[in-house]
Amino acid sequence: MSSFVWMKVLESAPERYDRGVHRLSRGRIDDVYRRIAERVAAPARTILDIGCGTGGVSLACAARGAEVFGIDLDAGMLEVARAKPVPGDGTVTFLQLAAAEIEDRFPERTLDAVVSCLAFSELSPEQQAYALKIARTRLRPGGELLIADEVAPRSGARRAWYHLRRAPLIALTYVLTQTTTRPVAGLADAVRATGFREVTETRIWEDTFVLVHGVRAEAAGASASTEEGS
Amino acid sequence: MRLHDLPAYVRDTVLRMLPHRTRTGLRRVGHPGRDAPVLLTGNFTLTVRRLRDVLRGRDAFILVADSRGINVWCAAGGGHLTHHDVISAIRTSGVADQVDRKEVILPQLSATGVERRKITEATGFDTRWGPARLEDLPAFLDRGRRVHKDERKMRFPFWERMEMAAMWGVPTLVIGGLIVEPLGGLTVLAAVAASLVTIVVGVFALLPWLKVGPGWRWPTLGAFTVLGFGVASVVLALLGRFTSGPMMWVGASSLLSAGILSADLEGTTPSYGSYINTFHNPASVDLVEEKCTGAADCVQVCPRDVLQMDGKRRKVAIARPDQCIQCGACVVQCPESALRFRYADGSVVEAETIRRTRMNMVGKRTVPVPD
Repeated sequence: MSSFVWMKVLESAPERYDRGVHRLSRGRIDDVYRRIAERVAAPARTILDIGCGTGGVSLACAARGAEVFGIDLDAGMLEVARAKPVPGDGTVTFLQLAAAEIEDRFPERTLDAVVSCLAFSELSPEQQAYALKIARTRLRPGGELLIADEVAPRSGARRAWYHLRRAPLIALTYVLTQTTTRPVAGLADAVRATGFREVTETRIWEDTFVLVHGVRAEAAGASASTEEGS
Repeated sequence: MRLHDLPAYVRDTVLRMLPHRTRTGLRRVGHPGRDAPVLLTGNFTLTVRRLRDVLRGRDAFILVADSRGINVWCAAGGGHLTHHDVISAIRTSGVADQVDRKEVILPQLSATGVERRKITEATGFDTRWGPARLEDLPAFLDRGRRVHKDERKMRFPFWERMEMAAMWGVPTLVIGGLIVEPLGGLTVLAAVAASLVTIVVGVFALLPWLKVGPGWRWPTLGAFTVLGFGVASVVLALLGRFTSGPMMWVGASSLLSAGILSADLEGTTPSYGSYINTFHNPASVDLVEEKCTGAADCVQVCPRDVLQMDGKRRKVAIARPDQCIQCGACVVQCPESALRFRYADGSVVEAETIRRTRMNMVGKRTVPVPD
């Protein structure tokens, strides 16, 4: 898996983002979008997509009939997203909004799912914690959280190889765009600590990508399991 | 500046074209109580360190927002420090639990990105513009958080111009040196360095007396290219290498030095608008007078003293249009959207577009508007 640090080059030209990220992931990013949509989207469900970018996840959820709100801070990415046709029977509204502003737009207990793909790693630890806390309050009881992002492999050798392969990409991307990305760490634990239940962590792509799923329940407490995907 | 900050200061100054992130959140200077001022800044290491230094001996909170490691002015202009980021900083830092006086002092230079009213609507925090420059903050705080008119205007003192010269010159010299020394030897490297220093340091040292804006950038940079070539030739003559090979090196390096500066010399000064933003289609600020209600928010944020309040007419006037550097602050802050940019080709870009994209437009979002 090529590192998603290259995404920064793509974000500097939003019109190239979709094609670029498709190539970077060797076509597998579409599978992630579909996987997220299959897990949480259905007709009459209301979904919030945090850091929607050019709308890959939002539109995949709309294709399954959901009412989707995609939020992002990047005006250029949102322009690209808004220009795309909405597939299926769902609806999509794209808003220029930070994760910390969710509470201004969405009342408590109004969302059926909160999703995020390749965006949480952009947030500072305190922003991540705040976003998780607010997401939980905006979900209806039984509502789902699903976050997908780049992650460093767990095994030592694989981890070393991952960082070694990433280093030149980081340097080149930094020179080209003056920015970089960081893999997320401890996401499942943070989701559990926020009070989500039935938290599962699915690792894919040679342990370099993670999908963390949790459920909002009224009662306190959390359970967890980890499974290995493909 | 403390001595142990010197290496970081050198790094941040020489490489200031690249972002340097420091952690976001709430920081304390001294022992701030519940009535202490809260000063917002971006998470560019150099800025946070300087703000801390200028506040030393006082009690204050520094609220560091995520500006992606970019300095406040550039981040606000590029859409990387907006009210979204300020709202995020206020909420995620928990500053509301630390102070009784719910007010954030915003850097004036963040005005292109930050819409004040939206911060108050979302967080309940009042906002106030601080001075344009950090060194005026102590006086601003001492007189009860009031900005003197002179403190709204940007200055570009000699030491700061030298910092900019270092930003352009040092990386160029290091990269160029790695190529020139193995191929041409130390003598040629000395001559090339003399040419580079003459051009880069000369331009910034003499900037207040030079003309660099539209119509003047190429003649001015051309003159410095010749000057750099001349100085390098003298160095070669003194070192006994005044021959065709080394002369070709210094000719090429003089052209390259001026060429690198020409990328956006203007945009790295507070005296000119960014060349990259407009290229050969210069823009100027345009007032739709019927919309102006005399709120004068624009006057408070202009760092070039371009706008003036006409008290008799209750309207703002563009008093010094030649001083405008198209930073966009006035356009974003006008509550009536009465200001916009008009380009030389007759097209305009309206306030709503600037508020959405900031100055990160690269000439793509203008619309033709007949007079």
